[in-house]
Amino acid sequence: MLDDSRPIFLQIAELIEGDIVAGALAEEAQAPSTNEFAAFYRINPATAAKGINKLVDEGILYKKRGIGMFVATGARTRLLERRREEFFHDFVQPLTREARRLGISVDALTDMINRSNSDPVLTERSAGR
Amino acid sequence: MNRAVSVARMQLINKWTFLGIPALIIAASFALTYAIWLMVPNNVETRYSGASQAVVWYFLALGIQSLTYTFPFSQAMSVSRRTFYIGTTGLFAVVALAVSLLYFVLGRIEVATNGWGLNGQLYFLGWAADSPAAVQIMFNFLVMLALYMTGFWFATVYKRWRATGMLVVWILIAVALVGLMALAGWQGWWPQIGAWFAAQTPLSVSGWTALFCAVLGVGSYLTLRRATP
Amino acid sequence: MNTPTQPPVIELNNVTKRYKDTKAVDGVTLRIDGGRIYGLLGRNGAGKTTLMSILTAQDPETSGDVKVFGQHPYENDAVLSRMCFIRESQKYPEDFSPAQAFKSAALFFRNWDQDFADRLAEEFALPLKRRIKKLSRGQLSAVGVIIGLAARAELTFFDEPYLGLDAVARQIFYDRLVEDYSLHPRTIILSSHLIDEVANLLEHVLLIDNGRIILDDDAENIRGSAATVTGEDSKVTDFTAGLPILHRERLGSLTSVTIEARLGTADRARAAELGLEIAPVSLQQLVVRKTMAAPAGGAGVDPRTATDPSELEVAP
Repeated sequence: MLDDSRPIFLQIAELIEGDIVAGALAEEAQAPSTNEFAAFYRINPATAAKGINKLVDEGILYKKRGIGMFVATGARTRLLERRREEFFHDFVQPLTREARRLGISVDALTDMINRSNSDPVLTERSAGR
Repeated sequence: MNRAVSVARMQLINKWTFLGIPALIIAASFALTYAIWLMVPNNVETRYSGASQAVVWYFLALGIQSLTYTFPFSQAMSVSRRTFYIGTTGLFAVVALAVSLLYFVLGRIEVATNGWGLNGQLYFLGWAADSPAAVQIMFNFLVMLALYMTGFWFATVYKRWRATGMLVVWILIAVALVGLMALAGWQGWWPQIGAWFAAQTPLSVSGWTALFCAVLGVGSYLTLRRATP
Repeated sequence: MNTPTQPPVIELNNVTKRYKDTKAVDGVTLRIDGGRIYGLLGRNGAGKTTLMSILTAQDPETSGDVKVFGQHPYENDAVLSRMCFIRESQKYPEDFSPAQAFKSAALFFRNWDQDFADRLAEEFALPLKRRIKKLSRGQLSAVGVIIGLAARAELTFFDEPYLGLDAVARQIFYDRLVEDYSLHPRTIILSSHLIDEVANLLEHVLLIDNGRIILDDDAENIRGSAATVTGEDSKVTDFTAGLPILHRERLGSLTSVTIEARLGTADRARAAELGLEIAPVSLQQLVVRKTMAAPAGGAGVDPRTATDPSELEVAP
């Protein structure tokens, strides 16, 4: 789940963001504690805290003194907006690059995207995420 | 100081080493000697037994054991060498003092009961009978301490310098003894030496033993200070 | 965590340990602020155990300045009583059982938690009444692990604590370590060569090789500080030009180069344009790459030939 390419705290922050985007962690719901994250992912608690603090700084999570971390209202919308911006350069660019390398024309690529979109299994799976 | 007491308590976690085995040896040596006296027909003369020494020899082994077994462990318990030394030898001193007192009392009982009713002599120090009680007790105590410290020091030397150290020490001791004997023979000192030994009193013997213990005690401590677990 | 007025937990200045003509620790200067889990990594014989023995005064240094909690630890009960160091080959009194070893630890470690020790013993399925000399290697390691954890010493060393422990038992150790450290923060120095297993537990990494510290950095800084670039020979050479190279491998026209450099988004995009694959380098791989150029075995090796990180390009 965690890889070695980037700092773990960033990956932890992204995992939480992912849960919020997918709706697994609803707005105003309590997020797991630093220690729970550390124990679950078997990582250093300080690293987990750093990931959570990043989200606090960004206003995605907020702290209730003595109780814990909660998901901010509007967090999901803001994360979705950001993810959509990142989508182009994280997914579309590598896609077109690989297509070019394999000699897939833009039309053929569009066709593939349409086909993929109409595949019920894939559509459902992506909606469920 | 608190930690030195903890070291002593650590040594007592297994009750056998410092308490159980000595008690067993003392009881068994008495029982065996008594049984032998019962079995062998009595004659009028006083019957001597060296069985009371058994526990003293165990203390030599205890000196070796209390270092080898527990010193590396005490290091893991974050105890300084000094604290380990004080706690361990301190505990032994208490045990040795208790046994010395016991032997003194047993010696008195022995005299009062006419050698346990069998004309035996096991605990009473005949040659020191004229000395004050304190000297008799101290003599036993110092002999026990001397044997314990000998074991402790040899174990420390082994711990620090391993087999090589052991070998060097034995060679040095042998050379020194042979050298002194040769010197005494060559210079014709034997008669004087004999006279010197004959002139010793229980008190002076105790003094020499105390000196011996002190040298071994300081030597053990200095050797231990640089020993590694 | 330390406030600035407190001395660092560990301060070493040019510390050397010499055994006959070998330097097991060679001029180490190091500062550990504490309140973290540190990884002390390196090959067998690199000097990990020696360094820990110096810090706990079990085997004092030959020269240099050692300070633990601001004082020299040798024969210093005030300092020693705040640390716990169970050796990999720790010796116990021959007639002791694990229960007796724990009873003893309770005498010396003021934060000792007997309940915790009991729980751990149960998890490791340790026979508490059996003589220690009759325990298996794994059970013996469990005794050390339990003392190290339940002692809750302010400065705790674990020296390859898992010898003979199977994967499940090791996982128990890691889980309990993280859990207990979260509840009772302290300074933990974990020496290990199963680096992949412990990498994520570490907050700071110290890499020792031939008695010298060759890497001293936060684990998060190290993550992503190296990468392996694979692709067509000329393109790889082109891409990695001017970057510090840790390792190079060739397979036909394919070249794989491990570089010690942080690649930004632009670099990655460029690599993608060139058709190069970029793979992350794990902490374990990085350690292997950084220590491989050094001659094997550490001990018995002339430390003067110890390799400077910049010379590591000529990997075998």
